[in-house]
Amino acid sequence: MKLSFVVKSLAGAAAMVAMAGPALAAAQSTPSPVTLKGDVMLEKTVTENGVSKVQLVEPKVVIPGDHLLFTTRYHNDGAQAVTNFVVTNPLPSAVALASDGAQGTEVSVDGGKTWGQLGSLKVAGTEGTPRAATAADVTHVRWIIPSIAPGASGEVQYHGIVR
Amino acid sequence: MNTYLTHLSRAAGIAGCSLVALSLTAPLAGTAHATGVLAGTLIENTATATYQTGSTTGSVTSNKVTVKVDELLDVAVATLSTAPATATSEPAVLIYSVTNSGNGPEAFNLTADPKISGNGFDGTIKSVVLDSNGNGIYDPGVDTVLTAGALATPVLGPDKSTKVFLLVDLPAGAADAQTSQVRLTATAQTGNGTPGTSFAGKGEGGGDAVVGLTTAAANSLAALIASLANISLTKSASILDPFGTAKPVPGAVVTYSLAAKVTGSGSLDGLHVVDTIPNGTTYVPGSLKLDAAALTDGADGDAGVGGASGIDVTLGKIAGGTTKTVVFSVKIN
Repeated sequence: MKLSFVVKSLAGAAAMVAMAGPALAAAQSTPSPVTLKGDVMLEKTVTENGVSKVQLVEPKVVIPGDHLLFTTRYHNDGAQAVTNFVVTNPLPSAVALASDGAQGTEVSVDGGKTWGQLGSLKVAGTEGTPRAATAADVTHVRWIIPSIAPGASGEVQYHGIVR
Repeated sequence: MNTYLTHLSRAAGIAGCSLVALSLTAPLAGTAHATGVLAGTLIENTATATYQTGSTTGSVTSNKVTVKVDELLDVAVATLSTAPATATSEPAVLIYSVTNSGNGPEAFNLTADPKISGNGFDGTIKSVVLDSNGNGIYDPGVDTVLTAGALATPVLGPDKSTKVFLLVDLPAGAADAQTSQVRLTATAQTGNGTPGTSFAGKGEGGGDAVVGLTTAAANSLAALIASLANISLTKSASILDPFGTAKPVPGAVVTYSLAAKVTGSGSLDGLHVVDTIPNGTTYVPGSLKLDAAALTDGADGDAGVGGASGIDVTLGKIAGGTTKTVVFSVKIN
């Protein structure tokens, strides 16, 4: 119990440092015109009158097999357009991309070295023979947004499954 | 706690490794934990973005969102005995395995039920024993006998299992070759119930504990068979008088035959055939035989002793379906 607490509080400290860093940098030199805000929700399938629908709830209780929706919202606070905006999201090791978890966007199965649509990627299979990559092989997801107008905002999302 | 830290370091290894290493470790990660990531694991997600504004480039990092994985309560029980265990005057030893199929460390309460519909007899649970040395064989005096009121496995790590022995005695009325079943049930100590039931704060690492698809309770049946033996002793006599006929006159020799017949699937141990010399007769020295083989009268290396005080032939352990015949003669005075 005690060790667990230590691990948790360390992680918390790291998060604080990471958040303080850009803020300090912004005050001193190049202010970031864009803000990123992450969020996670639990996708709960509820069946009512024989019809299944997915509800998004706070992830209070999360167990292996649960579906999570990770959202990153961006907002251009600057006076200029932001271009070539590329959001990269490494998947937490305990999360596998859902089979249709990042439709239409690029993924990586090699730790972010190479990118492509999931259907075009291969990984080394058993006996060294390459096989088609599956959603569970994905290590990173990225979204490319050509331009964000001043004051504009949007969000990118991927669906994950707790391994 | 050790398991938890080990897992974290391994998970970190997967995240940072190269393509080749990834293909080697990823399948392992899938099979190492049948039920997924360990309870207490933190899922931390951070996104970064790179961009251009005019001719300058920049990057920005999101806040980190963290979700803790809660404990899933699941268990599996299986019977390891492939054939019914034999119960004689010694109890039958039934072997089960109890596996923690959840994702956190958990102990399981054990209950043994010998009253199963269709039983030829209902056995009596003599003891519940943990396979302390993990060799799959009941070792009296070595394996831990659980005390009533504390029938439970030790805390098992995720995907870890322990073997449990049930020692089952035959009841008084059991007949040879009758069979019976005994059910062992294992229930998560944190709690069980309908899948999805959660126990707030009871999970590993301070999270919740959630009942999985197994309902956090499982059971399995193992069979035993009664192996008993009975003995019947049949005595017959034949007479040969000095005139070559069969009249019981003085000088006539009476030859007794004692047939010890053991029946049943079991065996009997420590058997002796003992008889006395009838009044008015005298033992014929050297007439003692076991299954037609002569035995000396003295108390020596062979199985028999014969003399004026009677005969005593040691049969030892005899399996069911065997008949041993002792023959001796007396002369009418």
